[in-house]
Order: sequence, then structure tokens, then C-alpha cells
Amino acid sequence: MNKTSDNNLMVQVRDGNVEKLAVLFERYHVMLYNFFLRLTGNRGISEDLVQDVFVRVLKYRASYQGQDKFTIWLYRIARNAHIDFLRKRKDEVSLGEQWDEAHSLESSPPEKVEQAQEIARLNLALAKLPLKKREVIILSRFQNLKYKEIAELKGCHIGTVKALIHRSIKDLGKAYFELSGGMAS
Amino acid sequence: MKCKQIKEKFADYLIGEIDEVTQKEIQEHVTACSSCREELESLSAIWIKLGVLPEEQPSDNVRARFYATLEEYKQNMQEEKEKPRLGTLMDGWFERWIPRRPAFQFSLALILVVVGLTAGYFLHAGVQGGGEIAQLRQEVRQIRQITAVSLLRQESLREQLRNVGLSSQVELPDEETLADFLRRVDSDITTDSRLAALDALFPQSPAIRRQLSLSLSEQTSPLVEIALAFSQHVAKF
Repeated sequence: MNKTSDNNLMVQVRDGNVEKLAVLFERYHVMLYNFFLRLTGNRGISEDLVQDVFVRVLKYRASYQGQDKFTIWLYRIARNAHIDFLRKRKDEVSLGEQWDEAHSLESSPPEKVEQAQEIARLNLALAKLPLKKREVIILSRFQNLKYKEIAELKGCHIGTVKALIHRSIKDLGKAYFELSGGMAS
Repeated sequence: MKCKQIKEKFADYLIGEIDEVTQKEIQEHVTACSSCREELESLSAIWIKLGVLPEEQPSDNVRARFYATLEEYKQNMQEEKEKPRLGTLMDGWFERWIPRRPAFQFSLALILVVVGLTAGYFLHAGVQGGGEIAQLRQEVRQIRQITAVSLLRQESLREQLRNVGLSSQVELPDEETLADFLRRVDSDITTDSRLAALDALFPQSPAIRRQLSLSLSEQTSPLVEIALAFSQHVAKF
């Protein structure tokens, strides 16, 4: 399915055929879940946020403009849902408690343990970044958004996004290096 | 390109949003520049490492909650559609009462106009004949007379001038007021006050006209004399 059909589906939802939202849910709920999971590091919270996003889509369906790219509109809602969640929680959720899973794999084969530790280290390194930098890496590396789309989503210039991504990757590398005990792998 | 310009393109290089020419320039530069090469290798290493992070699946709970919400939303929409609106109810009510044939519609309109006019006539008559209204009017008339007389007795010229307007509103003055006005025309010390009293006495009865004609000989002010003569002249018509 191409992106145009996403827009067409959302236009139908906007115009009252809300059943079509089920198709969009099936297409995007996993993607949204992983977006939130990498932002918050908490599975339960991420599931709640996915639910919140689709409730908001129904609530604000009338505001959807047919010419907007659906995924950008959806990410805009997702970002707002996350910001509201943080405001309610007052402070950012600690990602460490969720990602510290490597310890439960002690009886597993060594290569699996090593892989799990690598994943945990990367997640912790991501968690050490400020939200702004973490978000831009998630959007470009995992959600595959282009510079232009990230700039549109954040309401800033493409040059600003490029510079921010560069700095964020650099900081992520430093954080990962520190977590690895100063041993570059 | 210099190192600074090359480094600015590193993010583009990693993400892949870069044209072939620039990509080649970067590769040539890092081959020759060890500092830039180290930085690019470091950035590439962490960027590639991120690829090991797996995509996770949410629990079935997410799907169940979404479909429950959607079902509830659809039901609410349906209920909203079925809820009778005030406008629709009013339309139905009027439809039942308004005849379909134009001739009957015209007759109904005519009857309503006649009923409206009749009701208006009787209501108006009721107001006219109301005892309370008549009593109030009488009281207002008396208040105007008292005010006009008291203002004519004022010493200040400003107050006397004010009575010109008020005295002209006095309707059917009683005998005491008439006597007071006639005395004012004859003997008040100011011309303005005499003129105001004369104004209040206009239009006069034949008896007052006679009194005023006698008053003409008492006047010293040409203005009052002219006004008296004019009032006598006008009254004849």
C-alpha cells in the first residue's frame, strides 16, 4: 500500500467512515509502539501511549487536511501525546529500569547473552541522551523519516535537523563508549 | 572541501540522503585526512550498531483496547445520529398543522391576521379605559402645573427661563394656576417671566383673552406688548 492510500483512508475517517481507522491501526500501531518504547523504555507506558494516539486521531479527525502526509500528522499527534505524558509525570521516565534485561539471560548461551548485553548498552546509551537528541535519532534511524519530514514535524529548518542529528550521533557514540568501559568495539 | 564542510556532510553520508558526487568527495577526503576518517568511523560504528536493536511487538492488549474504543466511538456516533433534534421536531409539528393547499394556507393566514388585529384593538382599548392609567395621567398633569408655577415664582432668571419649556406643557390649568399666570403677565418684574406666563396661557378661553387685553395697558416692555397683541390676533382665528 502506498502513502496516498493512507491519506485516502484518513480522509474517509475524517468524513465519518471511522471503521477505516482499523486499517491504519493495523499498519502503524507497531511502528508507534516502538517509537514510544525507544523514547520511554517502558512497554506498559508505550502501549498506553499508542492507545492515546488513536483516541486522539478519532477526537481530532475533523482537523485532518487531505493534503498532509498521514504519517507526519500521526507522528505529530504521537509527539504531543508523549509531551503531555511527560508533563503529567513531571519528570522523564527512567529508561534504565526497563532496559536492564541482560541479567535475566545468565543461563542462556554466551553469544545470546553477549547480544542481549549489547542491546541493553545501546538502549542505555540512548537513554542517556537528552530527549531532543534521542528523539531525532529514533525518527531518522528507526522510523526512517527523511530530513525534510523531521523538519516539518519539529517545525524547524532542515539545516537545524542535520546539525542536530550529527551532534546526537556523536553524543550517542560517547555514551556507548563510556558504558563499554572505554573499550571501543 | 575543508574538514569543517566535510564533517557537516557526515550525517547525510550515514543516513544516505546524499548525492553521488558529495559521497565521492567525502570518501576521497577521509582517505587523506586521518582526523576526519576517525570521526566518520566512530559515527558509522554507532550508527550501524543501532541496527541490532530489534523491533518489538506490543501485547494483544493494545489491539483489544483499540477495537473496544473504536466500537464505543461508533456507537456514540450512531446514537448522536438517532437523537431527535429540536429543529426536526419543530418542523414535524408545523407540518402537521399547516394545510397543504395554497387556498387553505391563504385562509389560515387571513384568519390569523384578523385574530391579531382584533386582539390588538381590544388590548389597546383596555389600556385606554384603564382607571389607573387615567389617574396617573391626572397626577402627571398636576405635577407639571405645580412645577411650572413654582418655577415662575423663582427669583433667578435662569430658573424663569426654564419655565418657558415647562409651562408650555401644562394642559388645562386649574383656576388657581390661571390666576397665578395672569398675575404674572400683569406684574412680574422680568420680561422673560411675563412672556413665559403668557406662553402657558395660550391658547386661551374668551375670558382669559379679555383679561389679557386689559393687561396690555399695564405693560412697559414692547416685547410683552407685541406678544399680547399677537396672542389676541391669533386667538381670533
